[in-house]
Amino acid sequence: MGSLTQVTIDFEQSHLLFPTLIGGILLTLGLAIVVTRRRRIATAGAYWRGILSRMDRLRLLGTLALTVLYFSLMVPVGDLWPNTGLGFLICSIPYVLATGLLYMHEWPAKQVAIMLAIAVIGPGLVWWLFAEIFFLTLP
Amino acid sequence: MEFLSLITPLFLSLVIGGTFVGIIFGAIPGMTATMAVAVCLPLTYSLGLENGMALLLGLYVGGISGGLVPAILLGIPGTPSSITTTFDGYPLAQRGEGEKALRIGICSSFVGGVISLAALYFFAPTLADFAIEFSYVEKFLIILFALTVMAALSSDMLMGIFSGFLGIFVALIGVYDISDGGNGKLRLIPPGTEYWLDSGFSLLPVLIGLFGLAAILDQAELGVPKGQSREDIKIGKGSSFSFSVFKGQFVNLIRSSGIGTFVGILPGVGGSAASILAYSNAKTFSKHPETFGKGEPAGLIASESGNNGLTGGALVPLLSLGIPGDSTTALLIGAFTLQGIQVGPLFIGNNPETWNAMIFAMLVANIAMFVMMYGAIRYFALVVTVPKHVLFPIILMMCVIGAYTINYGIMFDVWTLLIFGVFGWAAVKLGLEIAPFIIGFILGPSAEVYFVKSLESFGDLTIFFTKSWIAGVLWVLILGSLAGSVYMSRRQAKATDADGG
Repeated sequence: MGSLTQVTIDFEQSHLLFPTLIGGILLTLGLAIVVTRRRRIATAGAYWRGILSRMDRLRLLGTLALTVLYFSLMVPVGDLWPNTGLGFLICSIPYVLATGLLYMHEWPAKQVAIMLAIAVIGPGLVWWLFAEIFFLTLP
Repeated sequence: MEFLSLITPLFLSLVIGGTFVGIIFGAIPGMTATMAVAVCLPLTYSLGLENGMALLLGLYVGGISGGLVPAILLGIPGTPSSITTTFDGYPLAQRGEGEKALRIGICSSFVGGVISLAALYFFAPTLADFAIEFSYVEKFLIILFALTVMAALSSDMLMGIFSGFLGIFVALIGVYDISDGGNGKLRLIPPGTEYWLDSGFSLLPVLIGLFGLAAILDQAELGVPKGQSREDIKIGKGSSFSFSVFKGQFVNLIRSSGIGTFVGILPGVGGSAASILAYSNAKTFSKHPETFGKGEPAGLIASESGNNGLTGGALVPLLSLGIPGDSTTALLIGAFTLQGIQVGPLFIGNNPETWNAMIFAMLVANIAMFVMMYGAIRYFALVVTVPKHVLFPIILMMCVIGAYTINYGIMFDVWTLLIFGVFGWAAVKLGLEIAPFIIGFILGPSAEVYFVKSLESFGDLTIFFTKSWIAGVLWVLILGSLAGSVYMSRRQAKATDADGG
C-alpha cells in the first residue's frame, strides 16, 4: 500500500504534473456532465434556436464588431503620435459615439447631439485625467 | 491608532465618493457593484493601497446597497443580491408605499453592513492567526474546500465544480514560475502564442472582461432595454416611514445579518444566496408566512440585512486566507496585486495600519450609504431613468483603460478583456458558473504550488490525509459540503417530480 501512494517528482517535468491532473479531472467531470445530461444535450438545438431568435443581433454583433475595430485601430493610430495617448483619444470618440447611437432606440436630433457631446467630452476628460494627471500609459 | 494618520480628507472623499458612485451603479439595472469595482480599479493604481481601498470599499458597500432602489420601485433587482427585495418591496411600492419600503431597506442594509463589519473586525484576525500555522498541505486543502463549497452552493453542482476546475486550468497557462519554486518551463500554450502567453492571462483584464464587458454584451443581446421614464417610478408621495416598523423585527434583523455574514465567509458564494437564505429563514420563523411576497416589511428587512451582511463577511476569507468571499472581493485581490501586496494569513499582522484603515473605510461607507440614501432617496430613485446608451459606451471605454494600464501598457491585455468578455457572456448560456471559475482562476497558481511542493517534500499522497488534525477536519468539511449538495439536489429533484406529477 505504501508504495502505491508514494510519488517521486521529476523536477524537469514538474510543470506538467498539476495541469495533467486538472486536465484529467476536467475530462472526467466533462464526461459525467455529458452522461447525466444527455437528454438535455440531445434537445439543445431548441434551446439555442430560442436564444438566437430572442437575440438582438444588430446590437450584439455591432458591439463586437465596433469593439474589435476599436482595439485594432488604437495602436496604429497611437503610433502616429507616440507616447501621447492620442491613439486612445482619437479612436475612443467615434467608438463611444457609434456604440451610443447603436444602443439608442430612436435618433431624435437633440439626443444625437447630446450623444455627440458625450462622445467628445467623455473620452477627452478621461484622456486628460489618465494621461495628463495620473501619467498612465495610454495607446 | 497610527492608522489615523492615513485618514486624510482625500481618504474620506474617496470613501464617500465611492459609496455615491456605487449606489448609482447598483441602482441601474444591468450594472452591479462588481462592475463598479472593475471599472474603477485602474484609478487605484495612482492612489496607493489605502486610498485605493477606500474607493473600492465605498463602491462595494454602495453598489450592494443601491440594488434595492430598482428592486423596490421597478421589481427589477439592480444587483443579483436584491432578488428577494423585489418579493415584498415591489408590492409595497405598488401600494404607493415606495418611499417607506426604500427607507426600510436602507435601515436594514445599514444594520446588516455594520453587524458584518463587526464580525470582520473580530473574526478575520483570529482566523488569520490560526491560518499562519498552516503548511502547504492545509493550504491546498483550504483551496479544495473553497472550490467544493462554491460548487455545492452553485445552482448545478457538477457544472459548478467543472467551472472551478476550468478556472484553475486556464490559470495554469504560461510559465511554471521559478519564483514559485517551478522549473521555468512553459505549458498549455498553443504554438506561436508564446510571446503573448508567456505569463498567462493577467488577472485584472480577465476580471474586467468577465464582469464589465460580459455584462454589457448581455444587455446588447437584450437590445439594450430603454431606461425607465419618471412615470414608471412609484415612490409614493406621503407614504410615511416610522422606525416603529422595526418593532418585533430585532431577531429577524440580527439573524438575517448573521446569515449574510456567514454566507459571505463561505468562499465564492454571492449575495443572492445570502438574501435568499435570510429571506427563507424569516419566512419560516414568521408567525404570518402567508403575508410574505405581498408587501411584508419583515421580508424586505431580511433580504436587505442579509445581502449587506455579505459585505463584511466576504472580506473575512480574503484578508485572513487570501481566498475571495465573492466576485467583488475577487476584484479587490486585483487592487492588492496592483500595489504588489499579497493577501493571506500574514496580511493583517504585517499591515495593521492598512487593516484598520480598511475597517474604518467600511464603517464610513456604511454611514455614508445610510445618510445619502436615507436623506436623498427621492433623487437616487431617479437614477433608474439614466439612459444606458450613454453609460455603456463610457463603461466600455473605461474597461479598455483598466485593461491597458494595469501592466504599463500591454495591448494583449486589452484583447484578453475581449476574449474573457465574450467567454463570460457565452459561459452563462452554456451553464458554466462564473463565480467558481474566477475563484479557480485566482487560486489555481497557489493550488499548484501547494500541491506540488507538498508532494516534493513528503513524497507520499497520504500526506494530504495524515499531515495534521486540521487536514482531517478539512476533509470532513470537503466531503460534507459535497454530500450536503447531493442531498439537497436530490430533495429538490423529488420536489420537482412531485410538483410535476
